[in-house]
Parts: sequence; C-alpha cells; structure tokens
Amino acid sequence: MMATLRVFAAESLKQHRRIFGSKLVLFSMLLWPLLTLATAYYTVLPVVESPEAVRRWPLVAEPGRLLAFLAAGALAYTFFFSLVQSAWHFSFERVSGTLEAMFLTPASRMALVLANGSAALVQNAWLFGCFAVAAASASGTLHLAHPGMLVIAALALLVPAVAWGAFLNSLLMFSRDSAFLYTLLDDPLWFVAGVRLPLFALPVWVKAIGLAFPLTTSLVVLRGALLDGRDAGDLAGHLAFLAALSAALLCLTALLLRVGERHAQRTGSLQLF
Amino acid sequence: MIVTHELRKEFPGQQKLFRPRGPGTLAVDGLSLSIPPGAVTGLLGLNGAGKTTAIKVLATLLRPTSGSVTVDGLDVVGNARAIRRRINLIAGGERMVYARLTGRENLWYFGQLYDVPRAALRTRIDELLDLVGLVAAADTVVERYSRGMRQRLSIARGLINKPAYLLLDEPTLGLDAPIARDLRAVVANLARDGVGVLLTSHYLAEVEQLCGHVYVIDHGRLVAEGSPTALTAGTRLPHTVELTLSETAPAVSAAVETLAARAGADLTADADAEGRPRFVLRSPDDLAGEVATAVVRAGGAILRLEVTPPTLEDAILAMAGDPVAAR
Repeated sequence: MMATLRVFAAESLKQHRRIFGSKLVLFSMLLWPLLTLATAYYTVLPVVESPEAVRRWPLVAEPGRLLAFLAAGALAYTFFFSLVQSAWHFSFERVSGTLEAMFLTPASRMALVLANGSAALVQNAWLFGCFAVAAASASGTLHLAHPGMLVIAALALLVPAVAWGAFLNSLLMFSRDSAFLYTLLDDPLWFVAGVRLPLFALPVWVKAIGLAFPLTTSLVVLRGALLDGRDAGDLAGHLAFLAALSAALLCLTALLLRVGERHAQRTGSLQLF
Repeated sequence: MIVTHELRKEFPGQQKLFRPRGPGTLAVDGLSLSIPPGAVTGLLGLNGAGKTTAIKVLATLLRPTSGSVTVDGLDVVGNARAIRRRINLIAGGERMVYARLTGRENLWYFGQLYDVPRAALRTRIDELLDLVGLVAAADTVVERYSRGMRQRLSIARGLINKPAYLLLDEPTLGLDAPIARDLRAVVANLARDGVGVLLTSHYLAEVEQLCGHVYVIDHGRLVAEGSPTALTAGTRLPHTVELTLSETAPAVSAAVETLAARAGADLTADADAEGRPRFVLRSPDDLAGEVATAVVRAGGAILRLEVTPPTLEDAILAMAGDPVAAR
C-alpha cells in the first residue's frame, strides 16, 4: 500500500512539472474551458430560442440554467478530456525512453497508470472545477438536495474519470499509433456524452454509444445532483451503473496491462517509436 | 549470480494487413553465460550481435523465447518483480530521464518507484549526484543539461536502487574522456563492493581494463569466452615488431632473416624516412626479445624497437570474420 502511495507521489510531481512547465498553462486550465463554454452557449442559444425548443426542453427558457447545464458539461468534459491528453502524453514516454525506465522498476503497473491519470486530472482540472462550483454558487444555479450531494457529485466525476484515465493509459502505452484515439475522443466525446445537448435530444443509437463512456452517466449524476436537486436515492440507478462501468474499466485496464506488457516483452515494442 | 542457459530470443516478424506475417529475427541463439557478483563481466560483439537484446532479457524487459535466465536462483519470467528490485540497467545516450524534472527530482521519482526506504533516499540522491558530478546542477531542469550531463544523470538513475547486479549497455557512449574515466572507476569500485556488472562497450580498451571475463557473441551465438588476455592470445593474431637500426650491415640483415624464417614470421625490410634500415616482423609470438638479441649478437645497433601486440579489438574482429583483422 505504501509503495503504491509512493508511486502516486512520484507521478504527481512528474505531472506537475509537465503541466506547469509554462505560464501558458493557466490559459489551458481556465481560459480554454471558459472559451469552449462560451462557444457552446452561443452556438446553442439561437436554436433554443425557438418556441418548439422551449416546449421540448423547458430549461432553455432560463438562460442562467442553460448556462449552468452547459457549464456542468464543460466541467465534466474538462475532467475526462484531460485524461485523454494525459494518456496521449504517456505514450510519448516510449520516445523519451522513460517508458522502459518505468518498466525496469518493480512498481505496480496498475498503480503507475492510475497515478498518472489521477495526477494529471488533479493538475488539469482543479482550477476550472473550483471556478465552476464558485460560479454556480454565486449565480444561484446550484440546487442541492443536501450538502452531501456535493461529495457524491465529486465522486461520480472523479472515480469514473480515474478509471477512464487508467484504461486510456493502458491502451495508449502499448500503441505507437495512438493519435487517432486523441481525435476520436475529442469532438465525438462531446457529442455522444451529452455535453452540449440533453441526452433525450440525441438519437437512440448515439445514446447507446454514449453509455459506453463513463462521462455520459457522470454528467447525468452531476447535473442531477448539482442543478436539479436530486438526492442519492433518485440517482441510485445511475450511480450503480457508473460503479459497474468503472469496475469494468479497471478490470479491462488490468487485463490490457498484462497482455500489453507480455506483448512488449515478446516483440520488444517498448523501445520502438 | 545471473545464469543464462541456452537462452534464445526470436522477435516475431511484422504483421502486415492482409499479408502473412514476415519472417522473424533471431537475435540471441543458445547463449549460456554466468555473471558472478563482485566482478565485471564483458559481453562483446559487433553491431547486431545480440548484446542489447541479451541485456534486456536479463533486465526483464524482454521475455526469452526459450532457455532459462535466473538471477540468484529466481527465474526472470516467474519472478520478474523480485528481480527488478535486484538489478538495474544503464544504457548509453541521454534517454531514460525526464527533461522537465531537475536532476534531483528525477532521482527522487525513480527512488519512489523502486520504493527505496524514505529515510535513505535523500542521502542516496546526494551521494549519487556527487558521484556523477552533478551537485552544482542538481536543481536545474534536465532540459538545460548538456548531453554528457544527461548521460551522467542516467547513470545515477541506474544506481538509485543499489542494485546487486548492474547491466551496462554502452554506458560511456558520448561521454567526455575524463567523465568516462571516472565512470570506469565507479564501475570498478562497485564490483569491489560486491556488485555483479555486465558490460557491453564499443571501447574495447575499457573492457580490457575492467573485465576479468569476457563473452564474445556473433549473430546471437557465443563464439568465445575467457579473459581479455586469453581471448587475444587464442586468436593467434600477429604481434608486430618494428626495428630501426643505425646502419646497414649484411650480418645483421642475415641474422634477422634467419630468425624470421625459423619463427615463421612475415618479414618486411625497408628504410625509414631518414634512410636508416628498418625491419618489420609479424608473428603470432612476440619476437621482440629474440630479434633484439640476434641484432646485438650480429654487431648491430638498435635505434628504435616498437612492439605492437594484438588488441582485444583485433581479436573480436577476427572472431567476427573480418579479413583485415585476421591478416
């Protein structure tokens, strides 16, 4: 257990130095999510102003609530996409030779990918997370059944995000040609997870795909807990699904790490780039 | 002790879309060797001989196709994690460290991954920074380091877990001569302290200086083993004796020719730039003593006598089938 915590500490330092290597990081940590949120808001606004839209989606009648809906989406997306970026960077470790150096150590591979993902998450998302919660409180759009729902919302975001990050790390660590995943998990993730639009507005097949991504259900819980005043009982089904999905992702990560390392030992691909 | 028995490593061929898998590459073929603690063992061969592959199998980064590798009795496949605590690998070049971390942070990072006892880690880092001459640059980010500094940090990284066995793959590649010399001293000290070291290097003088026992491989196969002296002697490569005399004397020339004929040596007779007679004898045996005696007995005066024994490099090239070296 102590050895695992030490891996987390080591990865935290590494991610901190990687992410905070330049002052421009503040741009990507706060301004970029805010710009993305503004883009989403002003893209959706002309459409939702129609009477038909208000009938189908009453929330749009209140611009403050619409903004909070989109902000929750942007917050959750920032969490999950920061892990896509982190995994992409993890795959660069092959080029720098540090992947081999990591695999020379006795450190648990699972601890390494979990630590890498969670350290990147905390480093990337804390500023926008704090900003979003503060803004929601100040604007009065935060509607909690009870304060404990803040913890549940945070866990519903953090745990699946870390599992998602570990899964991506395990996937990209053993693949040299991973750039396509970065593209695949950018805009399509926005779309299928209901970041900009409510899930009911999406076609069934998109909803089905979206269920495979933990971001989709995390967002349902986040919006339900923070904006709609729903309590744990109301969200129990979603929380159970999220827990099962996170567990499945972690199992898949363990399997991929095992198979991937064995494949690398067989082919020598850890040093290929 | 690290022991490999009939180690074989074949890389599978590349799988192409809609085409059968290409042919595999046999990198190590039936290699058996022992690396004892407290000694530096050399692993030599030309490029592509299979040295790096063999080292990576010992380091658990590659899995043997067949044969066995044990480290202190532990199998590298079944006990990889336990073995990783006992070994470390230092490869030449400037890779294997993080550019955005400082030198000290790099060592701390890997110390954490090796679970080096917390109380000892700080002292260990200071010792290693001192050892590789990076104390002044300890808190500078590695991206500002020179190539040699990065390589020295990589060496410190390889020692962070106080390995019982150290695998060195071209560790002095790209290092300045004084730093390379210091590293050789470090390696010799480690061996004296009981660390088992396996060294591959293109600088064969380095191998001759450090290694008590050397394995020579070619195309993945073991072709020779022994001490550097024994390997050199075993190839029967010629010693070259170059003799410059003060003046030409028929009796002296005859004495040298007789000696060369009796010893079966190649003899070349010419004159140096100043017109003085010069003899060059090439023989598997060192004829310096005999030829000097013969010249003096015949009344000649020797101005210059130079003996060039065959080097380990000549021996390796000859074993690898290089015709120039064999001549």
